[in-house]
Amino acid sequence: MRYSPNSHSTKELKLLDLAYLTVLPPILLITKLPMLIFMATVVYLIYRDKRLSDKAILGMTLWGLVAIAISMFGSFNFAGLSRLKVFVELIMYLLILAVSLQRLTKEINFYQIISPILLLAISLFFFHTLPMLIYVIFEIFVLLWIILAYRMQSSIEESLKMTGMLFLLSLPWVILLFIFFPRISFEHASYGFKNEEVAKEGYDGKMYANEKAVGLLSDRIVFEVGFNSGKIPPSSKLYFRGSVLYIKKGKEWKPMPIGVLRRYRPARYVTPNRYDYIKDIVSYRVSLYPTKKRWIYLLDLPIEAPTGAVIDSDFSVTLKGGVNEPVIYDAGSALEYKYGRGTLKNVLDVALGADSKMAPRCAKLGAKIAKKYKSASQRVKAILKFFLDQNLMYSLRPKGLDPKNTTDSFLFDVKQGYCVHFADSFALLCRFAKVPSRVVTGYKAKPKNSVKNYLAVKEKDAHAWVEVYIDNSWVRVDPTATAKKMDTLSMNIINQTDTIKDKASKINLYLLYIKYKVEAWILYYSHFRQMQLYENIKNSPRFALVFVSTLIVLFGIFVLFYLYLKKERCTDKALCILAPLLKRLEKEGYKKETFESISSFFNRYSKDGEIDIKSIDRLYHECKYKESKDACYKLKNEIKRIKKSV
Amino acid sequence: MKSLKIFLQNRKRIKQRATPFSLFVVVLLFGLFFEAYMHNFNLVYITLFFVFATAFSAGPIGIRNIKNIEAKFDGCGRLFANILGECRIKVSNKGIYTAWALDILFEDKKIYIGSIKGSSVEFVKVEYIAPKRGYLYIKECKIESLFPLSTVRFQIDIKDCKRVVVYPQPKGIPLSKYLAISKNFIGDESDFDGVGTYSGSESASRIHWASVAKGELAVKKFVKEYQSQKLEFDFIKAANSDEDRLSQLTLWVLECEEAKLDFVIYMPNGILDSQKENIDEILTKFALY
Repeated sequence: MRYSPNSHSTKELKLLDLAYLTVLPPILLITKLPMLIFMATVVYLIYRDKRLSDKAILGMTLWGLVAIAISMFGSFNFAGLSRLKVFVELIMYLLILAVSLQRLTKEINFYQIISPILLLAISLFFFHTLPMLIYVIFEIFVLLWIILAYRMQSSIEESLKMTGMLFLLSLPWVILLFIFFPRISFEHASYGFKNEEVAKEGYDGKMYANEKAVGLLSDRIVFEVGFNSGKIPPSSKLYFRGSVLYIKKGKEWKPMPIGVLRRYRPARYVTPNRYDYIKDIVSYRVSLYPTKKRWIYLLDLPIEAPTGAVIDSDFSVTLKGGVNEPVIYDAGSALEYKYGRGTLKNVLDVALGADSKMAPRCAKLGAKIAKKYKSASQRVKAILKFFLDQNLMYSLRPKGLDPKNTTDSFLFDVKQGYCVHFADSFALLCRFAKVPSRVVTGYKAKPKNSVKNYLAVKEKDAHAWVEVYIDNSWVRVDPTATAKKMDTLSMNIINQTDTIKDKASKINLYLLYIKYKVEAWILYYSHFRQMQLYENIKNSPRFALVFVSTLIVLFGIFVLFYLYLKKERCTDKALCILAPLLKRLEKEGYKKETFESISSFFNRYSKDGEIDIKSIDRLYHECKYKESKDACYKLKNEIKRIKKSV
Repeated sequence: MKSLKIFLQNRKRIKQRATPFSLFVVVLLFGLFFEAYMHNFNLVYITLFFVFATAFSAGPIGIRNIKNIEAKFDGCGRLFANILGECRIKVSNKGIYTAWALDILFEDKKIYIGSIKGSSVEFVKVEYIAPKRGYLYIKECKIESLFPLSTVRFQIDIKDCKRVVVYPQPKGIPLSKYLAISKNFIGDESDFDGVGTYSGSESASRIHWASVAKGELAVKKFVKEYQSQKLEFDFIKAANSDEDRLSQLTLWVLECEEAKLDFVIYMPNGILDSQKENIDEILTKFALY
């Protein structure tokens, strides 16, 4: 006989606290210090476990309001409130205050129960990253478990099992809805991305051809690229364009001054009049990490910039502000192209600007080449040949470069340097040979950092190359490729970062690939992706088959897990041993009634059943009531024997 | 086909009622939808779909939880008006899985049962105070579960739980006191039963003068002074109003039952004899008077 149980208030409070503990961590990352102190005070009071007086509650209310006011100070104007982030932040603080005060009363009400879910919804305004995706799923699972643990009042194992079942039942719906729920083409809004604070580095805006060693050797990923065609272009085409530098002052290369007249205005799309031809167009999606600079990187030659970005006269792609948070953009480029016919004379003049004092020996050599060869292409070929003949060495730690004249020192004396020195000296030499040239900075990606259609571009892939103006078009020349050897130190450095722990690197690359895929297909799944998917399903029966099969297999796995969790665990050893026999007898038409004892069932069966189960009956009772291991073992064997014989 | 039939039967048998939490889920779905749709927040979409899918999946899980539960009303024993009584409900789980978070709804009371393991039976006591005598028509008599998410109440009617008889509240003068005031006597004033010793308190009319004449002070005794073996109660004389009379008689009946005394009650519409009817039948007649 049962009576109503006692109140579960303590347990309920603990479960409620657990729900708040689950949803608060992301919130804490964006909560300002005064509110953090307020929350710490609340936690301390909860820990003290004392019921507060009305005056104390009033005091806490005032303290909370002051904490909110200080936290929001500066944003607290009408302009601020119109920004969603500030507004949501204010709502979040007010909710935290209300929840804290309610919790201090030690009473549970409806609003306290629903508030963890509201806090979860609010936290989603601020974070949109892969860790958050994992955490959100974890939060949902834990919150579900808390609800079920409260409802079931059972062991943790039982409630977890039930949570798993509910979760597994929900997953197919979540997947189907996620894929097929109609999306509209609104751009993804961003309010936070607090996890990415460190700016990634590369050559951009400026380049220093000095005597110092290269500082960019890190394996940190600057951006990731996913090619829509499924194939990565060949290595010779993997030049991601950054800034274009025209002017050399001292050791520093700078972009074209702002006032200089250009033929084309910066625009998102490249109009056909800007090129003679373009071929091999590729589309791709780039995930760029914060660089704090305004350049975004597109494969040479960009023809379509993402929303908010423009392609300027030099085909550099820039955003209005700096890249202060991860940016994901879709873009298009032509791998084969010819452009530059309309380059203005004033631009070509700048591209010929070189002071012989900067590199006297270079100037002399340039003049010689200009005199010997009439066409620009011949001159460039001659310069390239000269570079090859110089037997230059690629060195990340060039030694003995003359700080006063690094260009001549690199090309004629030391003959050691890295891409910057190669580009600097090549561009200058071209100018001295009367061939307009400019330095282009960006990244030269390595195919070995790719998996399938995914390509990771790292800080150490930062590169500089040269564009020369030949026959009315700008042609890319990579003088670093003329290096005939590499010094041991550089080789060691590159080997250290490239090939050491090769397997680990490969695994890491695969992990990055998975991360990229998750970001592309989950975090940044959009109307565009959805349409892409529909198109693929419609146009490719093979894709459709793979897609449907994958879903079926996935759902099958969920069902298997569900059935595994649903299965009632055996608590009665003897009855479990007997279960196969009972099943067998049921097939024969002898079903044990729910409340019928085994003895009476066996008696009923014995009257007209074919199998002699007297021994089973005896062994069962010995196994169950005498707890005889031997009897249990014999019972098992006896059942096996009967099953075989039948 | 058989499964579908069972499913439909269960759907019919198990009533589903929305709770305030389901309203919250609807509001939450709208909120998340706008948050997700306006800014293409895929994390919000995922949360939205999880909320929807779990709320959706909660239905089959909730039905599966309660479908094997059968509850039968096992009576209330003697239920007296305005006195705490106990009713019993037999709850059996005929399935193999544990049924979780069960409550019994009995009139305005909610009694927590918790879980019932598969293939087991529980008897649940429900304490209840009936406000008045007569038939108590039980409006709410259900077994309910909010499992799994508290968004839907899954309810099954408890069998045979329609009405119970509430006896009048036993109250009034205790039987012993009543007997002291007004005993039921047998015989008559004219039935002379001999003489006895004068105690000094008897009235002069009782003095047996013939004995006095013989020099012996004695008093007359009559048969009527002997208490009868069967108590007799008169409905009309029991109290001033019908309800008080019924309450008084109920009290005496219960006291007689305890003292194992036989009795006769003279009701306006007949005689109730404890030797002919059992106590419950007599009390039922009081209840329905």
